[in-house]
Amino acid sequence: MNEEIKVDKTLDLKGLPCPMPILKTSRGIKEVEIGQVIEVLSTDPGSLADFPSWTRSSGNELLKTDQSGEVTKFYIKRLV
Amino acid sequence: MDQNTRNDLLQLFREKLNSAMTYYLETCTRCGICTEACHVYASMGQVKHISAYRHEIVRRIYKKYFKARGKVWPSVGEAKELNETALEELYESAYSCTGCRRCMVYCPFGIDTQMIMSIAKLLLIGAHSEPEILTLLADTSIEKGKSLDLFKESFMEGVKKLEKDVVKKWKMEAGETAIPMDVVGADLLFVALAGAHSIIPTAAVFNAAGEHWTLSFFEAVNFGAFVGDPTRTQLILDRILNEAKRLKVKEVCICECGTAFRVMKQLAADQPFKVSSITEVHARYIKSGRIKLDPSKLNGPVTYHDPCQIARNGGVFDEPRYILKHLTNDFREMSPEPKYNWCCGGGGGLVALGEDTLDFRMKSARVKADQIKTTGVTTLVTACENCHTQLNNLNDHYQLGVNVKFLTSMVADALMQ
Amino acid sequence: MDALYNFVLIYMVYFSVAVFLVGTTLRLVKIFRKPKQATSLQIYPEKRAKWLGAIYDTFLFPSARKHKPVLWVFLIVFHACLLLLIIGHLELFEEFKIFQLIPHEVFLGNGFLGLIFCVTLLYFLFRRLLSPVRELSVPEDYYILILLFLIAIFGSQMDWARSWYGYEEMVVGDYRTYLLNLLTLKPEVPYNVLIAGHSFMLVVHVFFANLFLIFFPFSQSMHSFLSLPMNKLRRG
Ligand code: SF4
Ligand code: SF4
Repeated sequence: MNEEIKVDKTLDLKGLPCPMPILKTSRGIKEVEIGQVIEVLSTDPGSLADFPSWTRSSGNELLKTDQSGEVTKFYIKRLV
Repeated sequence: MDQNTRNDLLQLFREKLNSAMTYYLETCTRCGICTEACHVYASMGQVKHISAYRHEIVRRIYKKYFKARGKVWPSVGEAKELNETALEELYESAYSCTGCRRCMVYCPFGIDTQMIMSIAKLLLIGAHSEPEILTLLADTSIEKGKSLDLFKESFMEGVKKLEKDVVKKWKMEAGETAIPMDVVGADLLFVALAGAHSIIPTAAVFNAAGEHWTLSFFEAVNFGAFVGDPTRTQLILDRILNEAKRLKVKEVCICECGTAFRVMKQLAADQPFKVSSITEVHARYIKSGRIKLDPSKLNGPVTYHDPCQIARNGGVFDEPRYILKHLTNDFREMSPEPKYNWCCGGGGGLVALGEDTLDFRMKSARVKADQIKTTGVTTLVTACENCHTQLNNLNDHYQLGVNVKFLTSMVADALMQ
Repeated sequence: MDALYNFVLIYMVYFSVAVFLVGTTLRLVKIFRKPKQATSLQIYPEKRAKWLGAIYDTFLFPSARKHKPVLWVFLIVFHACLLLLIIGHLELFEEFKIFQLIPHEVFLGNGFLGLIFCVTLLYFLFRRLLSPVRELSVPEDYYILILLFLIAIFGSQMDWARSWYGYEEMVVGDYRTYLLNLLTLKPEVPYNVLIAGHSFMLVVHVFFANLFLIFFPFSQSMHSFLSLPMNKLRRG
């Protein structure tokens, strides 16, 4: 997945404990239009399990997970 | 509300009517002995927050549809129809009750308000009026159980990143993994919260004690229980039960999460493994000399907040005090009898609802803040994530000037090499 | 007049005792046969003697003593009087040796017990009229208290009324005949009971007692039977 993802909004959730990342994301995503993409920054390893599951259960799409740095970046496309 | 919806809801109600629930609904004499038991009433003084008033809201519907009286003479018990207004009342009642069961200690019959509120919560789910955020979180947890393969690799990779922090706390023998995962035949399965702060210190302690342990892929917290949905609660629990069976562990140890511990202890009563809280495990390590703690790390007076679901409702009182005895010589009790400890005000899903409930949580827990203030401590320790968040909020709101700490991280910080 | 007396003292008694017995039994059977709660409802810390603890909680209400000491005194006095009054009524059927451990005539206290009982009821009533118990209460709670008050005041003051006639009328023997008649299904109110100047008190007493018995199985008074199992659940 090399193509550049166009990000419409970034949520900085670094340092937040569970279940805050998911809570904030599910609210934050409502602020972009359907079809737009948000970028979520998290330092919580739990997010690595949470986001794939949350996108599936909420019907959104996880485009990409970038684990290369200290901070994990999730790119999520709003579908509902 | 149309008749079909009502019938569906009443069917949900009926399913809840086991013998214990029926005792509770038949019996309350409205004597008012429980009046001062509820921290919400004690803090805010509104009658609607007295525990008996809360269950009367459910009981009125019971009287209307499940007692012959409801047809013959409804007014004698003020029986009430189940309609939109009733749902609103149920919501207000159920989501201002933290399920701490302090009132159950007061009631001469031992009526369990949390249990009666579970009817209210279930009816709200049936009517799609529950806080959707809790259902969303519960569904995410359930989905995790189904799609383990999807995130297994990346999750393990994420956990790997934490290992250097564990090693910083406790130097390891070469060849050992600081955070083992997926180990078949391990003695102990540790169910953490999805968060570094819950994994790192505990991992350090396990390694110091030489425990043969493995970290669960799933988080302990059970949002199904918060939203009061028995089906979801069970599904979320099953993920861990299945993992424990797959790995053939002897013990499942729950991190500092009150609800998770109580749900696990109750619903996994006859499993081939035993269920313990991390506090019990740590106390065991100290008792048997597997870990040694350095008491000089902590200055100033210390108190411990008993998380309701772990202490009054889970039976773990002595262990945290035993551990704290090894960490400080200025320990102060908050409540003359731990079973009377005030709830932090954040249980029952209120903390998980975040900002929305913040104002109410602060107002309704005034008595808790006062209680903390009276002890005059500088360090406030607890063993539950929910309580920790709420106590931190209280600390800011009421300017208590205390340091709110997790018991596990204090143990980890005081480990002697 | 006789017809009315006969109705209240005989037919209505049969009816209400039947409702009371059948209703209570059926309701209890129905409740006890419901599925058991699968998980523990215990409150910790745990004490070893669980049944003993539950019995203690059920009969001595330690939590009430701790949190509402004044109410507790009234509760204990109320329930003790209730018990003694029930014993007194049983003695109207026949002498029980065991109850004579403390030697007494039928109805310990000659109406005094009933008066104390009424005082506790007035206290409960008064308490219910004050906030916050007022907001918690429903009509049923008042009805039960008022019914009990009427039953007790008329019942207990019959002894006093008897003193008007130098204790010559409506003696224990008359009651025994009346109750025995009821029991042996030869319903007949003895002449002495019908003729006495204060027999209206008996009729009123029995009338309200009948109402109470009819209401009992459907009311919160069922706590008399459900308190023990509930307390056992709390003790684990
Ligand atoms: S103490 Fe128990 S019986 Fe009395 S009002 Fe409260 S819940 Fe009802
Ligand atoms: S369970 Fe706790 S919050 Fe709920 S009514 Fe009882 S005391 Fe209040």
